[in-house]
Amino acid sequence: MKAAALLQAGITEFSYHGEEAPVLRDIEIAAAPGTLTAVLGGSGSGKSTLGKLLAGWMSGGHSGLFRGTLHLDVQGAAPGGDSSPLVFRGSPDDPRINPALWSRHVGYVPQDAAALLSTVGSTVAEELAFGLENRGVNRQLMQSEVERAAEAAGLTALLDRDPATLSGGELRRLAMACSAITRPCVLVLDEPLGSLDHAGAQSVRALVRSLLESGTAVIVLTQTVDELGLAADHWLVLDGGTVTARGAPGGLAASAELLQSGVVLPAVPGYGFGWQCRAVAPRGADSRPATPRPDNPRPATPRPADPRPAADTPAVLELERVSFAFPAGRGGQGRGILKELSLAVRSGEVVAVTGPNGAGKSTLLRHFNGLLRPGLGTVRVLGADIRGVPTGRVADKVGLLFQHPRDQLFERTVLREVLFGLDRKYGPEAAGKARAALTAVGLGEQLETHPHELPASAQRLLALATVLAREPDVIALDEPTVGLDRHGLERLDDAVRAATERDAAVVMVTHELAYARQAADRILELRDGSLREL
Amino acid sequence: MPNRRPALNPLTTLAAAVAAAVMTTAASSWAVSLAVASAAAVLAVRAGVGARLAPAAAVILAPFWLSLLIMHGLFFPEGRTVLAQWGAARVTTEGLGFALDMGTRTAAYVMVFLLFSFTVRLPDLVAVMSARRVPPQFGYVLASTLTLAPAVTVRLARIRQAQESRGLVLRGGPLRRLAAARQQMVPLVLALIQDAGDRAQALDSRGFNASRERTSYREVPDTAAQRTFRAVALAAAAAAVGLRISGHWPEGLWMVGLWPDAPSPVALLAVALLARGVPA
Repeated sequence: MKAAALLQAGITEFSYHGEEAPVLRDIEIAAAPGTLTAVLGGSGSGKSTLGKLLAGWMSGGHSGLFRGTLHLDVQGAAPGGDSSPLVFRGSPDDPRINPALWSRHVGYVPQDAAALLSTVGSTVAEELAFGLENRGVNRQLMQSEVERAAEAAGLTALLDRDPATLSGGELRRLAMACSAITRPCVLVLDEPLGSLDHAGAQSVRALVRSLLESGTAVIVLTQTVDELGLAADHWLVLDGGTVTARGAPGGLAASAELLQSGVVLPAVPGYGFGWQCRAVAPRGADSRPATPRPDNPRPATPRPADPRPAADTPAVLELERVSFAFPAGRGGQGRGILKELSLAVRSGEVVAVTGPNGAGKSTLLRHFNGLLRPGLGTVRVLGADIRGVPTGRVADKVGLLFQHPRDQLFERTVLREVLFGLDRKYGPEAAGKARAALTAVGLGEQLETHPHELPASAQRLLALATVLAREPDVIALDEPTVGLDRHGLERLDDAVRAATERDAAVVMVTHELAYARQAADRILELRDGSLREL
Repeated sequence: MPNRRPALNPLTTLAAAVAAAVMTTAASSWAVSLAVASAAAVLAVRAGVGARLAPAAAVILAPFWLSLLIMHGLFFPEGRTVLAQWGAARVTTEGLGFALDMGTRTAAYVMVFLLFSFTVRLPDLVAVMSARRVPPQFGYVLASTLTLAPAVTVRLARIRQAQESRGLVLRGGPLRRLAAARQQMVPLVLALIQDAGDRAQALDSRGFNASRERTSYREVPDTAAQRTFRAVALAAAAAAVGLRISGHWPEGLWMVGLWPDAPSPVALLAVALLARGVPA
């Protein structure tokens, strides 16, 4: 017998203030106890807005105009105290959701998990207790609840740690535990596996499993059919703000709607797509492959026999016996350490660097343009030692895509973002270069948008455009695939290909080995401070 | 970072900081101010926050001292003993003395309160405030204010790195550096506002604006002796202000009688207690 839904939402329309087109329309979604629902959608499909709406973050008219119903089948959840559906008509008289009350029943973990933390808790235990303190729970009960939540999330050993020192996977589990500690009957997770390495993803999956077993209804919003998506009972495909397909995963796996949506599909039998077809065309291929269409997926193409640049091609980037360690107390001891590391990358070559979280991959990339300087050893760009050369000058030759777009973007509009620093290099041609780079990543029509208003995938592409516009000889990409939907991945592939065609060298750090195998000429693993070929 | 557990209630160290600052003002003596400021500096080094506190204090004090020197060192109307003169500008002993007095007094405040803010455990402070029925929002704002400097530093470093990676060269004279800093200010303020907006929604969802009484996970240490000390320190501070206002300040022999303007033992005791609150 099918259990009654705990949360049911009927969204006729939702639009943000100042925008005419609705972000969401004609969506019905229900969450039953102990079930996992995956909402699959590409960048800009409205997933995060849907998550916030379900979590009660968007009601009350201050964020946008909402017409539809929310029905939480729990006594005392609605403002009136009963459990009848809340009806929103987009008028000032609409019911107002108290986020504190609503979140006791519907927990929400945003895409940027760190944003959920209070920042005043100096330990994991205090951060976990924050929501209970606000609800006036007595100390004894609070302590047992903190222990229970920590155990469920595998955080028991970390209770006394400063949240600022947690790894990505640990931080995500902490945010989930902070939401789950009040035992909500529904938990909405936005991209819960994004940017996590294998171990981190595994720990989050285990936590979701235990929540499901305890009867929680879990809704996962994702643009990748990852392991969580595959484990879901029910799929909803979101495209252009509305549900284009719904049903059991097996029935939707090869559907046209899913292929159209920009969702990244796994490279497993039955899906047809995967890293092979979303990823780069083989290096050295003569012509650009056509963009895959639902009716004509791009076939996996074998890699050329030897795509590497000739051995006598001069190295554009050389690291010679580079050693580096953060001062004690920063970044955690033993993290981000490089030990007598050597690397030579030739022009036109694509090198992928992989390794576990905290191995020092980002630290390595930051040595390329001088943001970090080696304690010992030498970094040479185009044969010249960059010792003593300011980063701003090295940046003419080396472009760096940061791991988090929010660290890279600081301007008020998309165009201004790419124009920053470009006039110093190109003078009057700067505007043309900026527009061309934005067009290349598909943002040519959004020049005046605020970068913060872009979906995560578009933010990363914008950050990529700021690198591409400078046409550097060395392009360093830190986890470039994270947060990109399939359309975004195709843009990335095109950018990498175009860069190598003009003989730029590309070094990309990625935890997605399957992608690295397709995209790179060689793969190096960073472990224990040094690189080895895989 | 190891879990630091200071032995003192944050209210005790706060009372000590307030008492030290108030009594330093009431004493109105450069020797007292200097002693209090130096004691705070020594404690900051002992607590391992000297490296962070020194630049913060310099940013606040350097422009202030400079303006004092120009205002009072060169243009002090009551100055009688003229040491040097250039037109309307006169360097007088009295002017320099006043500037020294004001400068050291401000240094004492700044050092004492920076020491407090760099060493207090924020969760403890928020917890004791909510236990005293202070609205938690007020405690959070206070806590956020105390952590604002580190947050701004981190954010500023990120923006600078992003700009350097796109060709901003941070070299050259002060004017070029100033121009570069100007480019970082607008993004900094916008980013902080954005962060605050995002954080507000998350705090709401975690029940932070709930109307019911808040409890505290942490048990903040407090003893009868500490409560007595707080009362005595604040009473002594009030008494010092009273004596100064009424004109009965016992100049020279106040409570010690060893030498004129000796540092008040209460003020020094207050600083010493502040030190006990400092995690080793």
